[in-house]
Amino acid sequence: MLAKLVVWSERGNIDVGALLDTYRRYDFQKDLEKALNRVDFFRVFHMLALGAGFDHFGVLQLGQEAEPAVLTTRLVLHDLPPGLTEEYDRRYRFSDCLLLKSLHASTVPSVWSAACEEVSPSKAGTDFLAQIGFDLVACVPVHSLVGTRYAVLYFGDNDDIDRSSHVELCYNSVTAFDYFYRFVLATRAGMGLTARETEILRWISHGKTASEIALIVSVSEHTINSHTATILKKLDVVNRTQMVAKAIREQIIQ
Amino acid sequence: MTTVHILLIDDEPAEHVILRRLMTKVQSFATQLHYADTIEAAIDFIASGAPISMVLVDNRLPPHGDFRETVPLLRQKGFIGPVGVISGSLDDAYFQSFQEYGVDFRLDKAELDPTAIEFLLKEYLVKS
Repeated sequence: MLAKLVVWSERGNIDVGALLDTYRRYDFQKDLEKALNRVDFFRVFHMLALGAGFDHFGVLQLGQEAEPAVLTTRLVLHDLPPGLTEEYDRRYRFSDCLLLKSLHASTVPSVWSAACEEVSPSKAGTDFLAQIGFDLVACVPVHSLVGTRYAVLYFGDNDDIDRSSHVELCYNSVTAFDYFYRFVLATRAGMGLTARETEILRWISHGKTASEIALIVSVSEHTINSHTATILKKLDVVNRTQMVAKAIREQIIQ
Repeated sequence: MTTVHILLIDDEPAEHVILRRLMTKVQSFATQLHYADTIEAAIDFIASGAPISMVLVDNRLPPHGDFRETVPLLRQKGFIGPVGVISGSLDDAYFQSFQEYGVDFRLDKAELDPTAIEFLLKEYLVKS
């Protein structure tokens, strides 16, 4: 079978599903190439967690070590029980957590188990386990194409994870995160607008509200708001007025 | 706690029973599940002014084809809330174009568990 070429469009977007076959994605290739939005990636990571014997996952943005870290805002995607992270943040400071510090200290994947507490409580990171209420947390450090650091966390109540499952989980997490970053997180300033985004921008410039545009283009209001947020990021502006002004200035719309 | 109204459109009544059971395990939202077995019944229900927050629609609803025929009918009637397509299989290539037909997300029926439902409600119904 001929290897497909990595295809870059004129606007610098990588073509969906056009990675070389040399990028080994094993059993996940089909799911990853189909994933388009946050719900699709929720499905992918949720499946990874359950497949490795965990109950939940979280994709954590590391940020700068010196910055105060709030767990709720650092998790860019997760399926933890509702209210858990908010309750954690009310009670604890994530910045003080040994698990977070370890992610800043090394990129080696780690497994934190409540069973380790008896061995070396000061190093086991059981503070976070006890605080968040799980017996086992696996951390897979990952990074984006532009070098920003993240970690995929898996939460469960098993005693441990065996070596082969752990290695497989790490590999799949790195692969899944790469797709998640490129297709969901990477809406960088300066990148071009899609045809749908330009259409929505035009309606915004006509003074239409999100619900009115949703009716006009036959999608949900949520989708319109999502496109609007993307346009704001791409044009590197902070509100709709500035968005329209810049779009006219840049001759994206008349 | 505000009640979230979800409309399930599925020609198989057993799916209603299953989803209703799953909904009882959702903790962070008070939910009320409504059911329609045809797209026409669903349109009438929404047109009646029912406060539907989210629609879950089975991919195939006879006599129509797949979601590419049914979801635009919902949108044409002015429904602008989130719409998710649920199906026993998402393998068909046309699922890749779901966003073009006014669909917000797709989910395999086997993946519909309380965690997934909580995620969807938080993702689409909580203003960030």
